Amino acid sequence: MDTFIQIVISGLVLGSMYSVSAIGLTLLWGALNVLNMAHGAFLVAGGYAAYYFGGYLGLPAYVAIPGALATGVVLGLLVYAGVARPLRKNANFETTVIIATVGVALVIENLVQKGFGAYPLKQPLSLQGGFNIAQTFVPWNSVLVCVVSIVLLVLLDFVVRKTRYGRMIRAVAQNYEAARLMGIRTGAVYRFVFAISGLMAAISGIMLSTATTLSPTMGYDPMLKAFIVCVIAGLGEVRGALIAAFALGVLEATVQFQLGVRFALPLLLLLVVVTLIFRPQGLLRKNEASRL
Amino acid sequence: MTMPIDPDLMRDPDQNKRRDLTIAAAAIVVCVVLPFVFPNRYLIGQGVTLFLWVAVVSQWNLVFGVGGIFSLAQLAIFAVGGYSAAMLALYLNVSLWFGMFLGGLVATGFSLIVGLACLRLSGAYVALLTLALATALQVLIITDTTCFMRQGVTCMTFTGGSRGLSRFGDFGFTAMLGRANAPLGNYFLAFAVALAAMLFAYLVIYSPIGLAFRAIRDNKLYSIGRGISSVRFQLLIFGASAFFTGMAGAVFAGHYRAIGANILDTSLLLFLLSMMVIGGLGRFWGPLAGTTALLLFDEAMKELGEWRLAGLGAILLLSVIFMPNGIVGLFRSRPAAR
Repeated sequence: MDTFIQIVISGLVLGSMYSVSAIGLTLLWGALNVLNMAHGAFLVAGGYAAYYFGGYLGLPAYVAIPGALATGVVLGLLVYAGVARPLRKNANFETTVIIATVGVALVIENLVQKGFGAYPLKQPLSLQGGFNIAQTFVPWNSVLVCVVSIVLLVLLDFVVRKTRYGRMIRAVAQNYEAARLMGIRTGAVYRFVFAISGLMAAISGIMLSTATTLSPTMGYDPMLKAFIVCVIAGLGEVRGALIAAFALGVLEATVQFQLGVRFALPLLLLLVVVTLIFRPQGLLRKNEASRL
Repeated sequence: MTMPIDPDLMRDPDQNKRRDLTIAAAAIVVCVVLPFVFPNRYLIGQGVTLFLWVAVVSQWNLVFGVGGIFSLAQLAIFAVGGYSAAMLALYLNVSLWFGMFLGGLVATGFSLIVGLACLRLSGAYVALLTLALATALQVLIITDTTCFMRQGVTCMTFTGGSRGLSRFGDFGFTAMLGRANAPLGNYFLAFAVALAAMLFAYLVIYSPIGLAFRAIRDNKLYSIGRGISSVRFQLLIFGASAFFTGMAGAVFAGHYRAIGANILDTSLLLFLLSMMVIGGLGRFWGPLAGTTALLLFDEAMKELGEWRLAGLGAILLLSVIFMPNGIVGLFRSRPAAR
């Protein structure tokens, strides 16, 4: 029973970490066909910005966190203006944008490493303490992470499904040309989606660094997990990504406890390979047409 | 492919035999003469690296540039070739010379499986699948701790684990050429592999097969409509591009007398990807130009080691935006057909 509770709790925490970074990634893919390889670097930038404002400058959390979120948004907008917009007319947009964002990732990670050093740092903005459920220690920080991610995802799902902006995003995702002809300012939609994606990355970077430590390469693993979540849910699925993130979090925790840490990542990757071969549209999508 | 094809239609406008022969002759002369003019160990070692990456990138270019399949599995194929040769030498005492060809064959088999897995996918999905495979391979090797055999008091794992495989010998150039000239042996072996790989790439790119690859890349539905089997050609391209890649892996293992899971690092993958993109995707001379340019860049960045990644990223980004046809594309008068 103890192990079971432990598995569920660490699965939920893992799941909420994955879901927020996966959402940023899947939204960009679903709406704009952009597979952002700099997503991991965005996480790193968000985490370090929180450290810089909160730890280095010593600002209070209610200034430091918005500062870090703003950093994420600005990065998203910069990648739109500097990479996605110039490349959009390119015939091989889908693949060139992957290569270009790899370049962005290398630059950001190198800058962070130069600015803050390669050694792991402790994120000052984290909740201390916790409580016990049946002899299992649950840190308050994990509870916060879990709550924040669920609230965010429900909110984002609402925005995409029910609001004017959401309708515009879905229109652009379904048919770029037609949306443009209907008077939708596609440039604004692109900017909006990039900004949200950057914001989500920053949030997940901060959450991740409160749970572990900051390091210039900390973004790679969560990005890989976000890819896994997106593929399994179906790239471009917002609601599906939420479910898949938590399911995979619990699965990963179970495998780690039962089979050993060694097999967790290979098993998830195997799941990706099998999904892509037999159901490339993802496990949770009903048909090919319903992106977002 | 049963219908006779009008030879004029098959001729690639990029192909210029006289130009290609001139460049090739010049490059071969330079590569052969250089180690005798500058008999410098460091330079010769860098030459081996150059040749091995040219071999790998030229084959990757067949899949990625000519075939338009966004596969990131090329270093995994390279690793499979290298590891196979190393394991055959270590466990079964197979000579590396023979193991080199066996490594190429094993790599071809592996690549065919990857190609099969990618059959129904396109674009970013292929990238994700192949990246997942390469990462899983690396994780499984690094975390391998099961005892396979004992070497004195230490325990050897089957794949070498995080320490990698070593003590499987080399190509035996020290015995053949003497200690002083042994590096030259590796140099010319790597040169031969690169040359064979380039020649093979040339034959593929300018053959009807290459034409079919490009047709599928440029318009899949139309080329299927014209009777090109995309399944057959995709498997063909995955298989064909793997043999010399695997051989290069075996030469790598023999040159360094060791092979480890670090050759599956994403940073190396990105370095080779940059070579291919910056040289010019789908162009015959692209891999040579890109590999040379990036190794020179790396040499120049030695002074500024800590900025190496940012420099690499910036070059990659700028070249995708401003130089979509790569270095080779700069030397063309006609706009690109892609």
